[in-house]
Amino acid sequence: MVSPETPGSKVMGPLSTTPAVAGHTGGKPARMSRPRTAGSIPADGDARTAFWLMAPALALYAVFTLLPIVATFWLSFNSSAGFNTSASFVGVGNYAKAAQDPIVWKSLVHTFIWLAYHVVMAGGLGLLLALAVSRLRITQVFFRTAFFLPHLVSLAVVGVIWANIYDPFFGLLNTALTRIGLGAFTQGWLSDPALVLFSVNVASSWQGFGLYMLLFIAGLQNIDRSLYDAAEVDGANALQKLIYVTLPGLREVMTFVVSLAMINGLKGFATVFVMTNGGPFYQSELITTYIYRLAFQSQDHGLAAVLCILLSLLAIVITIVFNRWRARLSR
Amino acid sequence: MLKFLARGTALAAMIAASSLAHAETLKMWGPEQITEPLVAQLWNGIKADFEKANPGVTVEFMPPTGTISNGAVQAAIQSDVGPDVILTNSGIGRISVVKNAKQVMPLTEQYEKRGWKDKIYPWLYTELKGQFGGEIYEVPDGLDALGIWYHKDLFAQAGWKIPATWAEFETLMKSIRDTGLQPIAIGPRTTGSAGHLFGNLMQSASGKDVVGKALRREIAWDDPSVAAGAIRLQKLVEAGYIKKEMAGLDLDGASRLWFNKRAAMFVAGPWFTANARKAGYDLANAGYAPMPSDIKGAAMPTGGVGWSWLVPVNSKQPELAMKWIDFMLSDAVMKKRAQDPASTMIYPREIPGLEPPTPVLKAIFATAAGGVGYNPSVYLPGTVLDTYFQVIQGLISGQIGGEDGMKQLQAKMAEAK
Repeated sequence: MVSPETPGSKVMGPLSTTPAVAGHTGGKPARMSRPRTAGSIPADGDARTAFWLMAPALALYAVFTLLPIVATFWLSFNSSAGFNTSASFVGVGNYAKAAQDPIVWKSLVHTFIWLAYHVVMAGGLGLLLALAVSRLRITQVFFRTAFFLPHLVSLAVVGVIWANIYDPFFGLLNTALTRIGLGAFTQGWLSDPALVLFSVNVASSWQGFGLYMLLFIAGLQNIDRSLYDAAEVDGANALQKLIYVTLPGLREVMTFVVSLAMINGLKGFATVFVMTNGGPFYQSELITTYIYRLAFQSQDHGLAAVLCILLSLLAIVITIVFNRWRARLSR
Repeated sequence: MLKFLARGTALAAMIAASSLAHAETLKMWGPEQITEPLVAQLWNGIKADFEKANPGVTVEFMPPTGTISNGAVQAAIQSDVGPDVILTNSGIGRISVVKNAKQVMPLTEQYEKRGWKDKIYPWLYTELKGQFGGEIYEVPDGLDALGIWYHKDLFAQAGWKIPATWAEFETLMKSIRDTGLQPIAIGPRTTGSAGHLFGNLMQSASGKDVVGKALRREIAWDDPSVAAGAIRLQKLVEAGYIKKEMAGLDLDGASRLWFNKRAAMFVAGPWFTANARKAGYDLANAGYAPMPSDIKGAAMPTGGVGWSWLVPVNSKQPELAMKWIDFMLSDAVMKKRAQDPASTMIYPREIPGLEPPTPVLKAIFATAAGGVGYNPSVYLPGTVLDTYFQVIQGLISGQIGGEDGMKQLQAKMAEAK
């Protein structure tokens, strides 16, 4: 892909750090050029090389991301019972159907509650454990690893484990409560409409907090020690150091963790699918589980596509709003 | 020497290439319990017999990841690298989902061409012909007969027996509850399990004719004659005969409750023998009876086509798939399966001289011989099924009453094509 260099080469090679110099171009305005160096690539070659180097990634991106996005938009305006059927154009019919479907609204509310639970429980626990673990000297690596381990377990497996923990008759939780004399607190963790979303989210957050904890630990390690020394000199106690030094020092990490937790929260699916399948009576139905149900059980691909678009918009809007809010706060 | 080696190698390569050219693989989805040693042994034997009868053919089992109800079959077909032939839970409701999505082949012609119509009960063939305007998309492999399973020893010790009337049945449940046992276990998180009990209650409260009319949309689902079953379930929950907590159980969780004798009764079909064996439960202790009814002749199991063979439209081996179904419908294979200890169902045609391998299966076959009512999970349109199962969950978790639940169901039925 390297072409012979000609006088007046236009741009710099990709790895060159040498400033370009003006060259003669026969009365025309001087173009940027750079000194001839062995192995340097001319401009056209650069573009072509760059294109071919990126082509596989671009092709994969087009096939697996862009095309599905386009197909989803197309599907959302069509009535389709599956990939083998002919779709018929219904305009905004699927959007109207979504707006009138009470389960869509219910699952939307549940998705927001789920998201909030995830941010608070997984993010909050991650922060608390990071604060605790970062104080340890000898056992820090052990606890860091131990707390991160659940994150390595598949969400589907986590769902099966926790469904057994929550079993009202044989489950670990109710059995333990009964054994320690707290039998009055036993619950139908997955059958009580008021509890089910929380219970499933505990399982999901248990799987997720390890990653957030590691991010917070990394953030804590970046806080300048001298700030703590100064605070101590000023007579700050532990709580004051936490509020005035640690938390402000974690601001950037916290923004990242909360954004990540919100996106992960919106994507919540596997644990709900395994543990309750959206039940009982839609009490744990999320947008994601309803999309699955519509697309693969009812074969209503048009309505499922509308909900996919809604979910994507939610993720975009929530992330933008949150980051703007954070930016305003930090000004 | 080198020349000899080279010729030998070339010859071997040619033989290998020619055998590869003739080698065919039939990918088969199912059966559900293929991971159970006894079931695996039976199916490996069938596979070996088929491969022997069809040289060059290899049958590859794909352990199912689910059913049509949870979308697993549809996803497998859509992947385009899925099975060539499928054995899965069926019935018109489920089949309509894959039929409407044009994922399965019509098999009507094969019924004539291959004589399949003479290899199933005539009433079954008539029923299949009447479902999709004469077009048939499935070949029944097994029929279900859902009724009450109970522990013989527990009932004998307490002097209990499955009575004849609903009022007596309520009294029985009260006696059971008073001993601290759960009268009935149910795992509605597994949709099928929810439908098993509910179908039995509908049959018991409304009778086969009324349920049939509701399924054919000749009576509304919120009509009091149809809603009686739902109200019955609501009352069982209110009386504490079915605990609300059971709404959080799946089939495995509810079965565990029954196998450990913490629940006295369980609504299931002949397939439950496989679950019982897996749990180490002594099948000789299992009793079976239909749910009591005050309507004359209505105390019968519910069921319908439980499992069927389907051929995906994108099957890479459609001809081989048909051959496989031929083979499964043959006398030799059907008898072998029916008599095998791993047998878990009622077969789609009469098998003369059949001796069921377990006493409970014998009881189920005898009860089903008197007639089988409708299991709505099998007959409801695919687009209504989800609402049906969610309403049952709502009734068990006490979120909705019987009448309101049936109104929701009726609304969905009215929407369905």
